[in-house]
Amino acid sequence: MERTEFKSHISEQLNRNLEDLFNQVLEMGGLVERQLENAVTAVENSDVSLAKEVLQIDKVINKEEMEIDRLCARVLARQQPTASDLRLIIIAIRIAVDLERMGDEVVKTAKLVIKMADSDVVCSELPGYGALLEITSCANTMLKKVLNAFARLELSEVVSVVEDEERMDNSLKAAMVDVLAGFNAHEIAPEYLLEMVYALRASERVTDHAANIAESIVYLVDGRDVRNMDTEKLSELLSSIE
Amino acid sequence: MSEQNISVALDRDHRSLSLAEEKVAMEVKNWNLYYGTKQALKDINMIVPEHRVTAFIGPSGCGKSTLLRCFNRMNDLIDIVNVDGEMTLHGDDVYAKEMNVASLRRRVGMVFQKPNPFPKTIYENVAYGLRLQGINDKGILDETVEWALKGAGLWEEVKDRLNENALGMSGGQQQRLCIARAIAIKPEVLLLDEPTSALDPISTLAIEELIFELKKEFTILIVTHNMQQAARVSDYTAFMYMGELIEYTDTDSLFTNPQMKRTEDYITGRYG
Repeated sequence: MERTEFKSHISEQLNRNLEDLFNQVLEMGGLVERQLENAVTAVENSDVSLAKEVLQIDKVINKEEMEIDRLCARVLARQQPTASDLRLIIIAIRIAVDLERMGDEVVKTAKLVIKMADSDVVCSELPGYGALLEITSCANTMLKKVLNAFARLELSEVVSVVEDEERMDNSLKAAMVDVLAGFNAHEIAPEYLLEMVYALRASERVTDHAANIAESIVYLVDGRDVRNMDTEKLSELLSSIE
Repeated sequence: MSEQNISVALDRDHRSLSLAEEKVAMEVKNWNLYYGTKQALKDINMIVPEHRVTAFIGPSGCGKSTLLRCFNRMNDLIDIVNVDGEMTLHGDDVYAKEMNVASLRRRVGMVFQKPNPFPKTIYENVAYGLRLQGINDKGILDETVEWALKGAGLWEEVKDRLNENALGMSGGQQQRLCIARAIAIKPEVLLLDEPTSALDPISTLAIEELIFELKKEFTILIVTHNMQQAARVSDYTAFMYMGELIEYTDTDSLFTNPQMKRTEDYITGRYG
């Protein structure tokens, strides 16, 4: 399906509304991307001002979610969208929820940086530090892939997103073992370790949401609901679509 | 960095309209209409915003067509009709004794449910109103006919057969021709009384799209049985019930969050 299909209605108003919706979702995704980039750099450099920017961006993201909901309600009430147009509305609402939650989760990593700035411990000394960077960077890559998939309405990278998500699950588990060892070693105050636990779990949740978005895009493009489908089956299904 | 500095275009052009901020094309105050002893319109108060599409919806017999016909005094043709109240068009009293009804109808044009082209050529149909006004200059006529047909989204389809009989056109084309005929004399307000109810879905979409374009130049009032059509084409929607104006607000609000229970029940199909 070509992206232009959303612009080819007789009703220019519908074309414009759907185009706006498309752009609004991409814009909101771009903001979360920026949050993730800032979070990675903030963790690496213990940069408190970048971490604070992550919190600021989150407020804008929250407003974007409301704006997308409003636009979707308007199109539903006024233009009675059907088929792929209807699916676009359904997934735009879902993606907006996922992006908003992603924003909230990234904030937890930013808060770790802010908290550690007040201590004599630097982030890089905390157990799980490497995993946190790995998961956050991977979340960013996954988000880029799903936003590209959405913008182009094409599914070639969807499987890799779902695979990334599974890989990050395992990274989280390994990191938790390290942090637990940290608790037992009593060298670093538990409140900092706990903050690291929150940040790690939050980063992994970001990858879950990115995988949800990938599934939404499959529904948009192909009409099939692939939530809760195992990776192998999904991969088979997608290769049959391509 | 502050929130404001984050460059996102929130709320592009999705901002809701507000009647309070509109320029007024027509205004109705304490308007009542009686068919003999039966009151058909009860104390209607509203403004018609300029360069907007305002739709009237409501069940059959609610008075929406009756009200529409008040705006260009079409009800004058019915003997038993009596009206009281005030109605103005850009400040002029529509029902004043000195108001010339023919010139009022030049200012407030109308298109009916069933396309009603004259049994003349396409060209003469559009030129008809101008000729009535005594304009016979070919240059002016040609120019206006082309302008009106373009405005009605019909020019490309008919430019090579302007001298063919209009009755040979399809229903959708005939209706667009009637719109061209109505706009040719450049009215201030255009009344559309169920303009698509006799048309197929694609012709209907074409007319709806046309309505959206026409509001740039004209103020449009439309009566429609089709609630979804009102939702699609109008900026403001008025819901009428048993001769009363129950709710009148911007179309977004009316269809997502109506304030009156009657409106909610009607638009959600709970009665009607």
